[in-house]
Amino acid sequence: MPSASDTRSSTAPDDTTGPGGAGRPAGAGPWRGRLTTGRLIRLGAFLVCAALLLSFPSMAPNPYILSAGVVVLSYACTATAWNFMGGFTGYVSLGHAAFFGLGAYSTALLIRDLELSPFVAWLLGGVVVLVVTIPVGVAALRVRGASFVIVSISFVLITLLVFQGWDAFTGGSNGLVVPRPFPELLRPEHHRVFFYLFAALLGVMLLAWWAIDRSQFGMGLKAVREDEDKAQALGVPTRNYKLAAYLISGTFTGLAGGMYALWFGDLDPIFQFSIMLGAYMVLMALLGGVRHLFGPLLGALIVGSALEYFKMEFGDTQLHLVATALLLALVVLFMPDGIIPAARDLVRRFGPQQSSIREMTAAELLERNREAAAEAAARTAGGTAAGGTAGDGDRTDDGGTDGAGAAGSGKEEER
Amino acid sequence: MTTRTTTGTGGGSTAAPEPAAAPRSLETVGLSKSFGGVHAVDDATVTFHHGKINALIGPNGSGKTTFFNCVTGMIAPDSGSVSYRGRDITRKAPHAIARGGIGRSFQLCRVFPRMTVLENMLVAVRRDRLREMFTGSRKPEEVDKARALLVRVGIDHLEHIEAGNLSYGQQKLLELAGVLMADPETIMLDEPAGGVNPALIGRIGTLVRELNAEGKTFLVVEHNMDMVMSLSDHVIVFDRGRPIAEGPPSVVQSDPRVLEAYLGI
Repeated sequence: MPSASDTRSSTAPDDTTGPGGAGRPAGAGPWRGRLTTGRLIRLGAFLVCAALLLSFPSMAPNPYILSAGVVVLSYACTATAWNFMGGFTGYVSLGHAAFFGLGAYSTALLIRDLELSPFVAWLLGGVVVLVVTIPVGVAALRVRGASFVIVSISFVLITLLVFQGWDAFTGGSNGLVVPRPFPELLRPEHHRVFFYLFAALLGVMLLAWWAIDRSQFGMGLKAVREDEDKAQALGVPTRNYKLAAYLISGTFTGLAGGMYALWFGDLDPIFQFSIMLGAYMVLMALLGGVRHLFGPLLGALIVGSALEYFKMEFGDTQLHLVATALLLALVVLFMPDGIIPAARDLVRRFGPQQSSIREMTAAELLERNREAAAEAAARTAGGTAAGGTAGDGDRTDDGGTDGAGAAGSGKEEER
Repeated sequence: MTTRTTTGTGGGSTAAPEPAAAPRSLETVGLSKSFGGVHAVDDATVTFHHGKINALIGPNGSGKTTFFNCVTGMIAPDSGSVSYRGRDITRKAPHAIARGGIGRSFQLCRVFPRMTVLENMLVAVRRDRLREMFTGSRKPEEVDKARALLVRVGIDHLEHIEAGNLSYGQQKLLELAGVLMADPETIMLDEPAGGVNPALIGRIGTLVRELNAEGKTFLVVEHNMDMVMSLSDHVIVFDRGRPIAEGPPSVVQSDPRVLEAYLGI
């Protein structure tokens, strides 16, 4: 059918319908096919944003602002890491701070007790988190929905109690000092280096998220989010897929935690295994939009900056928590899908209108009717099984009037 | 052909009087599932015929859907066994059963509402190798196959629409197309005519017949008697969690036990 190659669509942003991929297997990049204006704009916007982000350390007026930038980037890392699970599968984990804390403490303890070099310890810390995540995931993913949320909360509470109580090993509430990876660097330089390290980690995560988003694995995860039973019935091994997503998400969160430990240099269970931290990840991802690559990053920029601002202005008061709660309420009320989809809808409403449905000209309609009739005739001539003939007559009708009718009218009323 | 009543003694699988040349498809032996004190499926021994359109009928609450869910692995039966073409599939995971060649639809039609029609189709694409799973989800040949199936059910013009925006009838067609995407040998439909208009019932019936002619086995749970009687080769009547009668439509239709179960005569 000629309609097959028609890509005029407003609902599928990542159309890769062109036959151009026939020679090359998938993986030719997002710009496969034509360089449309939309893609150019998006690419330009991406480059500008990336440049702005990377030039932040040079623009920061003082080391304090620079360190706030590092904090915001670490939030962006955790929110993006959370989104591997929350965004793809729809499983909301409020306990991801546990992975953050585990990553941080593993890194610190590997340096302190085994005297590994900092970044080897950091990578091994990620491995430790990965290993811990396997049994936790197997257990937690036996339940869905609200039960999963509760299991995830209990996990972070358990780890908090363990790390507080086992003070001979972890330092308990007295905290744990992490040796600095670059002892020769002055504070501002130290912040600058870690700003770029966090940015690199974030870049890796975004790349991974993007790759999964367009893969068959990602398709299966999104199907789990939409309807898990249905996905299973279509042959998606949902349990393994969910576990894989959980491992990826937990490990990245752990790596972010380890990086934080190396940067901040002082760990306390109450802050590393904090439910608030887990809640921030959820809030940031929801605010930006969990279905979008840059959603959690955008959310982290907004929430993280606001948090840092409130802490700076109002010091030790808990006002930043009130503000965060208000923000969460606003998001849930007015932008349940997050900022990115809301903004996109707005642009679409005022931008050039594209019909999402193929309009058929009379000639196309006629052609379609003819094809359907020919097809039906061929099938009848082929002598299908008993009862086939009556049905084929039926089908001719559908191909012509009904199908085209739906094309013309069916969508208008529903959109 | 005579109507055979299944009495539900556990070992009834030995040389039951089958119609000639109708190899077995799905079989259950003594399948039971209770919810609390309710025996939803109660010692059901059923054989479906390969290559035929099998219908499963029965009054509301007779356990048809629970039976369906036990067979497809969505819920684990309390006892009894399920086999498909001689292989035991009792308590296998739903995705494993699906990959074994059994596709199913759901009673209240289920699609992935926030994915486009085309994406709904592509979910069913099966990739086994790890490398393939992590490569792009829109291989040209898979997309072509999906489109061909959408053309076949008549909703190809909607491929970029989010499935949640389709009408109920269009969702039913999409669900059927999605099931076909995985190339199942056997297709289980739970009330394909439920809640759709007569013209669409006709279209679905036609599709089922065409697909059956191409070699697909069907197992249809349905309330619409006209559809069941005109479509199926073999009818099994359920009441209170177990089969009470089976045979060709004409025979079942006049069976006194069936009339009693349905009309309470």
